[in-house]
Amino acid sequence: MPLDFSFSCPLPNGVHARPASALEEVARTFTADVVLLNQRTGRSANAKSILSIVGADIRFSDPCLLKVSGLDEERAIAALGAFIRNTLPRQETELPTFAALVGELQLPRCLENSGATFRRGTAVVPGIAQGLIVRAGGFNVPDGLPMDGVADTPAEQRRMSDALDELIAWYGRRASAAGKGIENEVLVAHRSLARDEEFRACLLDAIASRQRTAAGAIADAEARFTKVFSGSENVLLRERVLDIQDVCAQLLQRVYGNETATRSLTLTEDSIVVADSLTPCQFLFLDCRFLKGLVLAQAGTTSHTVILARSFGVPTLVGVQNIEGLADKAEAVLDADLGVLVTHPTATVRRYYTMERQRLDRRQAVLRNFGGKAATTRDGHAIEIAANIATFEEADRAFTAGAEGIGLFRTEMLFLDRASAPDEAEQHEIYHRVIEAADGRAVIIRTMDVGGDKALSYLNLPAENNPFLGYRAVRIYPKFESLFRTQVRALVRASAHGPLRIMIPMVSTLEEIRWAKKIIAEEQARCAAESKAFDKKMQIGTMIEVPSAAFALEEFCREVDFFSIGSNDLLQYFMAVDRADSRIAPLYNPLQPAFLRLLKQIVDAAWANKKWIGLCGEMGGQKRYLPLLAGLGLDEISVSAPAIAGLKAELSRLDLGDCRQLFAAALNCATADEVSALLSKFSAQHSLPLLAPEMVVINADAATKEEAIKRGVDLLYIHGRTEQPRALEEAIWKREANYSTGFGHGFAIPHCKSSAINANSIVILKFAEPVPWNSLDDKPVRVVILMVIRESDSATEHMKIISALARQVTHESFRDSIEQEQNPERLCALLKSKIGC
Amino acid sequence: MKIVAVTACPTGIAHTYMAAEQLEKTARKLGHSIKVETQGAMGIENKLTESEINGAAVAIMAVDIAIEEPERFDHIRKIKVPVQAAMKNPEAIFAQI
Repeated sequence: MPLDFSFSCPLPNGVHARPASALEEVARTFTADVVLLNQRTGRSANAKSILSIVGADIRFSDPCLLKVSGLDEERAIAALGAFIRNTLPRQETELPTFAALVGELQLPRCLENSGATFRRGTAVVPGIAQGLIVRAGGFNVPDGLPMDGVADTPAEQRRMSDALDELIAWYGRRASAAGKGIENEVLVAHRSLARDEEFRACLLDAIASRQRTAAGAIADAEARFTKVFSGSENVLLRERVLDIQDVCAQLLQRVYGNETATRSLTLTEDSIVVADSLTPCQFLFLDCRFLKGLVLAQAGTTSHTVILARSFGVPTLVGVQNIEGLADKAEAVLDADLGVLVTHPTATVRRYYTMERQRLDRRQAVLRNFGGKAATTRDGHAIEIAANIATFEEADRAFTAGAEGIGLFRTEMLFLDRASAPDEAEQHEIYHRVIEAADGRAVIIRTMDVGGDKALSYLNLPAENNPFLGYRAVRIYPKFESLFRTQVRALVRASAHGPLRIMIPMVSTLEEIRWAKKIIAEEQARCAAESKAFDKKMQIGTMIEVPSAAFALEEFCREVDFFSIGSNDLLQYFMAVDRADSRIAPLYNPLQPAFLRLLKQIVDAAWANKKWIGLCGEMGGQKRYLPLLAGLGLDEISVSAPAIAGLKAELSRLDLGDCRQLFAAALNCATADEVSALLSKFSAQHSLPLLAPEMVVINADAATKEEAIKRGVDLLYIHGRTEQPRALEEAIWKREANYSTGFGHGFAIPHCKSSAINANSIVILKFAEPVPWNSLDDKPVRVVILMVIRESDSATEHMKIISALARQVTHESFRDSIEQEQNPERLCALLKSKIGC
Repeated sequence: MKIVAVTACPTGIAHTYMAAEQLEKTARKLGHSIKVETQGAMGIENKLTESEINGAAVAIMAVDIAIEEPERFDHIRKIKVPVQAAMKNPEAIFAQI
């Protein structure tokens, strides 16, 4: 008696390769036949074959029927039904989106009229690569291999079958060797294709019924399944064509030996591999040492090859046209930041990319310098700068960026957008990985802050009128106790691997803490009873984000080890303001004196009880507030990874005593505007100086005015004074279009006002070889004084200095003294004495 | 001779002030007395009063943009030149007086 199960496809991108493979995994464990019928198209598929499932072309909300018949049909239908209800909806893949190539390509000034050839593409992995073009790719049966006329068909079938088994085993071995990650996933996906029932049947049938040779049978299978995939409307499926080609190419090699691997490439020097398409295995066989860039005409943005390239960090462009014209071994530059492949590079192009490399390398060196240093104030007081993360993948990036710990791991991401909660093993694995990445540094893991605006379908929580004041975080734990226990248990076990601290969100009363601590203690006791390792001294803390907590801190201090101020929610609850409402957004201002007094009360209470206290809200990531937060007396500030190096650099310029005075003065302000003015005055006195020795280059090198301006802007980028060098360069050129800033006597003063600059700056470049500038006196320039002012600044001290400098350069004696001074420090001192900068 | 002048360039960062300095330098050299008002990024500085304008023989307007309060100069002879001219060859401007 066949059993069936109806459902409608829950996947917005349809049943593509990954969900098909997951379904096949379940179906193949039963002996019963499993047929999947797409009632929209009438196509039915063997659910034990990925290729067959995919061929049924099941799209979002298609009505489907799963029919099971055979000995174990009852167990099969139960398992498959559960899979479709609970697991299938989670097999979704986000389609990355990339900006379409519209409009004219705006080349940097240095590359305009450079004489090189530029081919545009869509950048899917950023970066710049230089090397020789190497052509590759595709699947084809080598000439000379017979395709037809097999006499002994059973022998040929055996040969095919053996090769296929060998290939499946090989994929298995390679997948285990690859460990976890994308390479493993690709190999596992290929193994599923290789062991696909339909695939094998198709190969063997071609030999038996049409006397095709193994090569002929493989070519037929490749053509047939390529057609199935490439005909799909689903982009995810179309991109699986490469996987089919890959498996077929590997199989061909297994049957006929290595002589068929005609197109496999050996790279011997820095290479940019160019292909119509490249299969994932072809990619994996390329020598990473020499693979510098990848250019694909066909591959889409979600193909396995592109995903691999991203994980290996190989700069990649896709959708590049006219690659046929590219000569093998030709010199090329792949600029995925700009989205171009540059061929026939001229001396100008080479110089430009040498400058680009210097720009990126020097910036990295400066950041590493700050990122790698301990975060301390100028007078040597440490304030830990940690990272906020939401996924374990971010941990590595955070530590590379200089994080001194993880100040907040928001675990709710693990629970969102899925059909059921992650189990203990899955959670433990993730927490373990973060602790591993931390390598001895402290990791604060916050238990799930779900409910409210972060709804979970499997909790069935009704919508609320006021989700921020509603049923969320610690408030839902008692009702969903097993969910909380599972997380706590995973955390307790993870504590065996390194210094893990557990943090409870949204705490507003003492009872909530006591309840959570009871559960944690019970799970620790269970682990102890089961002889599972854990850290008995694991610290427990709470978020301070509900104002009531601030007024119960004495009692809280008796229960917990540490606190972290969640400034976003704390401010929103304290000021009773929905920060998403633009009409009242000005009230959502952390500079409100009342809010600063609240922070002061919290920190003082924590200190009085010798409790560690950090802050993990957005307020911490803004350099502007850093003097206040340092003055407040926090032990730690936790921010997103990209902000870390900048904060460390800023902190190194501050004096803790000054910051304390500033904070004390802010507490006495009456309004947020007064605090803001106080802060601006403080920043003007303590921010980056207008001119500094690192902004002076004595033996600068540029062949053209374009290069000279780029040199100046690159210096500003390297030292963190601008994050948008291209925009800043354009602003300077816009001014240059009025008339040349070369005013004669070998001097030029390019300048602009721009929102692309963070700190008002003067750059002085003295050139070894004079640079053409179409100056007023038609002479080249030896000295460039670049002046950039923030868009918003007008009547400031800096502007006064700039205008004094402009007046001074009209005097010959002043120019002479600049020309004669060859030491950056002394040149800065000279300018300070003359114009006060 | 008593001269007044206004300088104003597009960004108001550099050339406004360079031109002012050039005009002042050249006037001194030629034995004239001059007061130069700058209209730059810091707004109007060294502002010319009504009596200063009325007492001058000529106003040199070294400006590339529309200036603030132009009506103050309605009743005085003006020599209007691009800012660049004041940079490149200020003596040629004074020759026109």
